[in-house]
Amino acid sequence: MNVLYAELIKLKNANIVWLSFIAFGLAPVMGAVFILIMRDPDALANAGALSLKIEAMGIKPDWNAYLGILTQAIGVGGVLVFGFVASWIFGREYTDGTVKDLLSLPSSRSSILNAKFIIYIFWCVGLCISNLLTGLILGYFLQFPSLNMTETLNHLAIYFNTAFLTIIIGTPIAFFALRGKGYMGALGFVALTLVIAQIIGASGYGSFFPWAVPGLYSGISQEYKASLNAFSYGIVFLTGLIGYIATIFYWRYADQQ
Amino acid sequence: MEVISTHNLVKQYGSTHAADNISIHVNKGEIYGFLGLNGAGKTTLIRMLLAMIQPDKGDIFLFGQKLDKKFQRWNEIGYLVETPHAYPDLTVLDNLRVFYKFRNLNKPNLIDEIISKLKLEKYRNSRAKVLSLGNQQRLGLAKALMHQPALLILDEPINGLDPEGIVEVRELLQELTQNGSTVLLSSHILGEISKVATRIGIIHEGRLIRELNTEELFSQLHKKLIIRTRNNNEAINYLYDAGYSAIKTADNSIEIKDPDAIQFPEKISRFLVEKDLPPVQLSTFTEDLEMYFLRTIQTSKSQIS
Repeated sequence: MNVLYAELIKLKNANIVWLSFIAFGLAPVMGAVFILIMRDPDALANAGALSLKIEAMGIKPDWNAYLGILTQAIGVGGVLVFGFVASWIFGREYTDGTVKDLLSLPSSRSSILNAKFIIYIFWCVGLCISNLLTGLILGYFLQFPSLNMTETLNHLAIYFNTAFLTIIIGTPIAFFALRGKGYMGALGFVALTLVIAQIIGASGYGSFFPWAVPGLYSGISQEYKASLNAFSYGIVFLTGLIGYIATIFYWRYADQQ
Repeated sequence: MEVISTHNLVKQYGSTHAADNISIHVNKGEIYGFLGLNGAGKTTLIRMLLAMIQPDKGDIFLFGQKLDKKFQRWNEIGYLVETPHAYPDLTVLDNLRVFYKFRNLNKPNLIDEIISKLKLEKYRNSRAKVLSLGNQQRLGLAKALMHQPALLILDEPINGLDPEGIVEVRELLQELTQNGSTVLLSSHILGEISKVATRIGIIHEGRLIRELNTEELFSQLHKKLIIRTRNNNEAINYLYDAGYSAIKTADNSIEIKDPDAIQFPEKISRFLVEKDLPPVQLSTFTEDLEMYFLRTIQTSKSQIS
């Protein structure tokens, strides 16, 4: 608990925390703007490329569409934002030059990393809940037709399952932040996975690439979502496990210059 | 009792020997100073002592216990490695609270005590990023000392400190050792190390080339007598005939290294006056620590080659 408390103290005055909530919070706001534009024929006509995008996405002004946007924001945008969060939590010690202060303490290196993983999970869950609450408030003002309980629970299950999958595949970023000794290597890895996920997802093989699975599961493409199977979820869990083990082993056994 | 003991430590990076069979033994209550040029292997050794890097060969014992994955006595060790860094957006107080928690400490007054001891009260609620280099160094020392360690390992602890801060650190280290703590420190400020250390190790190209206590160090410093007269050539001849190994230097002075002349310069003065060559200058020159250090390294190099 002391180690976790120490990691929490480190978040004090960190602007990155609020910036991440603001950046991720753009998703429900943008979704609401899309829907407002859709409802106004004049605005839709003046929206140009945006109107084409809205039509292509098949967005309808109801809870189903809006919660779908929020879920997809996690499945795709979450890979980036959660990746950024993991890069910062694990890479900051190198960027701040404080890593050497953490290596010869009564608190084990594994416990420090575990505390960081717990912070990562809670931070990402906080981002998901914040977006959901923002979406619910905006949806209330947009006066969507009500959903029944089954539909609501179904949407919430997909939303949080997507969040779960996206959080899991963030663990290798921790390894790259330590191995790369700072944010840059980890952020490069995040950017690379995001680009590859888009390409592989679009080519129909996303179910074989762990970083594309959350996006597909979120329903970004119903056609490809059907291709997800036990193997797809298996490689997500395996990637998460390998990322976690590699992070712990790297800090425990590799020389720290 | 040996607090630090290393046996034939070897650490190699490619063809570079960062540590080449280093064996040191530091006893309880000692202040052991490490001297070495940049890249000599000081920081590598310190990082090995702190288990940040693993030696390729050799063993380390701290408090008589082998340093391996099972070693648990980290709360008896305080350390400061190279430039001190702190979490820039946290205050001095919060930076110390982080390490208070990491060290599982249970005496809340320790933080206030160390803030007071390192004269950081004024900056207690200042963010670390606005501190001067000297105060960042104080904060680094506060982290290292907060838990009152029995062994303190410091890499360049007085970097960035003003003269007052240097004296304070020196007094702090002496106070710690009086209370039974042991200190191992490295510094490139040789004069400072000689003032504070009870024993000195000189490390060069990964090898421990000389180990001596402070008295031995001062006795090994080269001394010579520098003389000028109105006719140095004639004076050298007289001195040579009298059995002194006098030589003429490049700046037209006379140099004598005979211990007898250095110990009794008035004898030389009287001798030259008798020869009607009274000295216009007569002074004893003692080699400074930098010269001694460089000479030691040079000797080591020539022995190797």
